[in-house]
Amino acid sequence: MKTIVAVILLIIPLTALGDDLDMPSSIEEVKKQHEARFLNMPGVVSVGLGLDPDGNQAIIVGLDGPRPETAAKIPAVLEDFAVVIQIIGPVKAQ
Amino acid sequence: MAEDLSTIRGILSRNRDNLLKRTNVVATGIGYKETGGTKTATLCVVCSVKKKVAPSLLSDRDLVPATVDGTPTDVVESGVIRALQAPTDRFRPAPGGVSIGHTAITAGTLGCWVTKTGQKVILSNNHVLANSNDAEIGDPILQPGPYDGGNFPQDHIANLEQFVPIAFEGEPSQCQFANAVITVFNFGCRIINSNTRYRVISLQAADNLVDAAIAKPLDPADVKDEILNIGPIQGTVQGELGMAVKKSGRTTGFRTGEIQQVDVTANVQYGAGQMALFTDQLLAGAMSQGGDSGSAVLDENNRLTGLLFAGSDTTTIINRIENVFSALGISL
Repeated sequence: MKTIVAVILLIIPLTALGDDLDMPSSIEEVKKQHEARFLNMPGVVSVGLGLDPDGNQAIIVGLDGPRPETAAKIPAVLEDFAVVIQIIGPVKAQ
Repeated sequence: MAEDLSTIRGILSRNRDNLLKRTNVVATGIGYKETGGTKTATLCVVCSVKKKVAPSLLSDRDLVPATVDGTPTDVVESGVIRALQAPTDRFRPAPGGVSIGHTAITAGTLGCWVTKTGQKVILSNNHVLANSNDAEIGDPILQPGPYDGGNFPQDHIANLEQFVPIAFEGEPSQCQFANAVITVFNFGCRIINSNTRYRVISLQAADNLVDAAIAKPLDPADVKDEILNIGPIQGTVQGELGMAVKKSGRTTGFRTGEIQQVDVTANVQYGAGQMALFTDQLLAGAMSQGGDSGSAVLDENNRLTGLLFAGSDTTTIINRIENVFSALGISL
């Protein structure tokens, strides 16, 4: 019986911890999770954090030129954060 | 009495040297006399001075006379007159914002002077001072850079002191496991008498934080610890979204912009088809072109926030100054 109580007492805090892990991800985390995939798409030259036209935090994906096929594969929203596509041109060392 | 222009030219010519000897007088010319802030129709000899001083504080020798050979004079405060030098010129002492480069490159920008173990050194990019990893410590650095007419040894200002190597894509891999596997594979190739051998390369090189290098001046007298068209640096500040920034560079001179993105990961092209991945960068609007690389980026209060190194038609990519300082072990 004592063992069962002890086990239950151990489980309760672990469940609470599990709830913490379900907290919404930050925009930094969401960007980090997806940027390698974006950067492997043809024409993607940058992924950063900025603002969408309404002034909300957004993930900004930079393209080297018009890339309709790549743009079609990039979602408009990732976990509640807007994803904005910008054509910035190739990035070169100056 | 109003004189005609040719008469006053003669008067000025006779009196010019005498007027320019006076303290504060920096220029002489002919203009319409101003009285009480209003321009009159009277031609006069205009003496431009560094600073207007009450006549009672000047000796007779330094006081501009009310008339010279019967023609009235006027005293106008112009400040010190300096020659306007282009950033591509030779500067000694050299401030930030001017042309510089390793002997094997075209030209970049001297960002600013920073301190390494108690000594002032030049901060710029690896691809400006260390030819994108292809340089030896101690190599000569020219101001102006070779493209702007910099020659060795006349324009030799400093020696390469240290650089942070740039990890390019497609370079030999540092992965021990992959290299071990391929060694076995190549051994197999040898056993079956194949002439083919394999090499491990990184498809995705390690992340880069900075494109940075420093150079030690040959003569401490060549240090001008400020930035052309900006002035002295007033500390450092962390770059943030929306921050107004400015830079002074070799190609486009003084330009302003705004930080539009932070935490930027970008694939940057280096000539000859080399690519390098940079993380934790700042991105501003277009405020630079080729040759501006190495420019120091400052906020509105002249606090240093970044080191410019790349850009596209619409953007400028900037290393965070805290990453530059920590990679090179430097401070202001």
